[in-house]
Amino acid sequence: MADTESADDVLKAEFPPLVQIERTRGDFIQFLVQKELLPAVVQYLHTHPRWHSRLALLWAVDDRPMREGASLHYLFALDNARQWVVLSVELEGADRLFPSITPHLHAAQWYEREIRDMFGLIPIGHPDLRRLVRHEQWPKGTHPLQKRFPWNKVIGRQQGEYSFLHIEGEGVFEVPVGPIHAGIIEPGHFRFSVAGEPIMQLELRHFWKHRGVEKLFEQRILTDAVPLAERVSGDTTVGHSLAYCQAVETLTGLEVPRRGRFLRSLFLELERLHNHLGDVGAICNDTAYSLPHAHCGRLKEQVMQLNDRLSGSRFLRGVNRVGGVTVDLTPDCMTEIPKELGRLDEDFSELESIIAANSSLIDRLETTGVLTARTARDHAVVGVVGRASGLDYDLRRDRPFAAYGELAVKVATYHYGDVRARMRVRVDEIHESIRLIKRLCATMPAGPIAAEPGLDSKGPKTPKAGEWALSAVEGWRGEILYMVMAGENETIHRCKVRDPSFVNWPAIQWAVVGNIIPDFPLINKSFNLSYAGNDL
Amino acid sequence: MFRIIKKSLKTGVVTGRYPQSAALQESIDPAAAEKAKPFRQSLVIREVDTGSCNACEMEMNALMNPVYDAERFGIRIAASPRHADALVVTGPVTVNMERALKDAYKQTPDPKIVIALGDCAITCGLFKGSYAVTGPVDRHVPVDVRIPGCPPRPAEILKALTELCGKHDRRQAAGS
Repeated sequence: MADTESADDVLKAEFPPLVQIERTRGDFIQFLVQKELLPAVVQYLHTHPRWHSRLALLWAVDDRPMREGASLHYLFALDNARQWVVLSVELEGADRLFPSITPHLHAAQWYEREIRDMFGLIPIGHPDLRRLVRHEQWPKGTHPLQKRFPWNKVIGRQQGEYSFLHIEGEGVFEVPVGPIHAGIIEPGHFRFSVAGEPIMQLELRHFWKHRGVEKLFEQRILTDAVPLAERVSGDTTVGHSLAYCQAVETLTGLEVPRRGRFLRSLFLELERLHNHLGDVGAICNDTAYSLPHAHCGRLKEQVMQLNDRLSGSRFLRGVNRVGGVTVDLTPDCMTEIPKELGRLDEDFSELESIIAANSSLIDRLETTGVLTARTARDHAVVGVVGRASGLDYDLRRDRPFAAYGELAVKVATYHYGDVRARMRVRVDEIHESIRLIKRLCATMPAGPIAAEPGLDSKGPKTPKAGEWALSAVEGWRGEILYMVMAGENETIHRCKVRDPSFVNWPAIQWAVVGNIIPDFPLINKSFNLSYAGNDL
Repeated sequence: MFRIIKKSLKTGVVTGRYPQSAALQESIDPAAAEKAKPFRQSLVIREVDTGSCNACEMEMNALMNPVYDAERFGIRIAASPRHADALVVTGPVTVNMERALKDAYKQTPDPKIVIALGDCAITCGLFKGSYAVTGPVDRHVPVDVRIPGCPPRPAEILKALTELCGKHDRRQAAGS
């Protein structure tokens, strides 16, 4: 069946005009697709039951000066990401039109709107062409990722207002929330339409924090952009820097030593641990049960202080670099870390039993904010949110990176898709992370922590302009994807960043329908998505 | 119930269990300290994120956990700028957030203090010059206190805030 069959032969047989592009690096298949044929191929991949496909990433590149015109690339993950297929469409010269696949595939919706804003390419047939990243005050014709757009241009202002979707009728009213919220959280706008208590519709208005990260990547050279990747979303410092480094390593052919890979996994798990601990507490706090919040705050602080002692940064900043890691751990650390986390595990288990014994809390969490498996699949949802809705998918197991090929990761999956399921995924992953860290410490190999460019016999090479690589990391929120394309002289021609938040945000609009507004903060917290990583 | 009490007794008091913040940055400007006089007993903060990477937000949240427990110094977080004495601003001020920041500033009653938290708020950090950034914060609203760092540690934030209120963390000094 699908497990044994390779997608390339089947696709070539189904669609003879497809041209396969030979790729020397990167573990995926690429096809050049004629513009007119694209919707049919997408429709086939999406609907044919043998592939279990998911649109993982959709990005555009302004190919100038290498080629006159822009190109679009569609990454499909088949069989739980065990196979990757990239469909590429090339637009010639001043051609700005491309066929929208949103009518076939809901998950493409935000991607295509983003491409229209950033590149000025127009998805023909897209049902919703309102602006996404550029808010209404941005002047017409501002498309920052076009190559002719200067990165430091001062943009003017114009008048304009976003038109929200309205529900009309007796007793229906709208509740605007944000961009500045009540707690210490990031800015975003939520527009609720309610009739009485239950929410009939929620519309998101995001991208308040758009900082131009992808354009800033293009101003840097390949080895020097790690600090920027770390600041895409501060709470996912290790996840993003690791995904970026892996992409560059694939591009330059650098081989990370085994100890370096083990340390990377260790740091990634520490990051998962402190974030999940914080989330479990915060979910309880949003039901006004503050005791677990206080305890979780204390445990999270304990892990962050451990991070600080290990690396000199509470967020593990600066641990990753292209070729390996910068921080080595002493043998003392290898015994200290498991001991400290063992105590923490016990501590957290006691807390867990206190949480589980509180029936009014559980009552509040169950059946709240249900995201059905169907909706989750339609939005190509990833990570914790997807696993709580029954999407059994974790890159650490399905497409191993760093040291995960040598670890058997137990993936926590629940089927209810409610707030409680999302909390339980986190609780299970806390225990699993601690187990993995202990295992990593016990089996930590000796040797160098980073590949030294120049010393390697094969030797890293400078990528040619236009070469690109993909990389995927299962961060604590979910799948982080990076596409890095090299330019002349080790510059970055294009870097596409996709935080899991970008695909999970639209799904929240469906999870809240039928719930009451006071439950929204709770549902939002159970998703806990990044605004910064989404807005870039 | 018994379980909860047992857990609390077992855990004990954790407040102050954090490492001393290393040599603190520049100390508080005397003019800002003078301005903060009316808030010595209680400083209510409204946090405004204008495009940070959310690490600064995490550290602000950490201030409220039992280890740092900023509330013991009368420092609290308000839900609205209208209830606030001080605005803590993080991030390099993006094009899209510029108006919201100015609105929040206008809505904060006088007298008020503006605290720029983190390198992005002070200098725009790595995002300096980007087409989407119009900051730093002091280009749009007057800034009284600057707390540098990327992100600053909670201990450093707490030290700056307590210094502003003219208080000392006795528990921490004793605890470490």
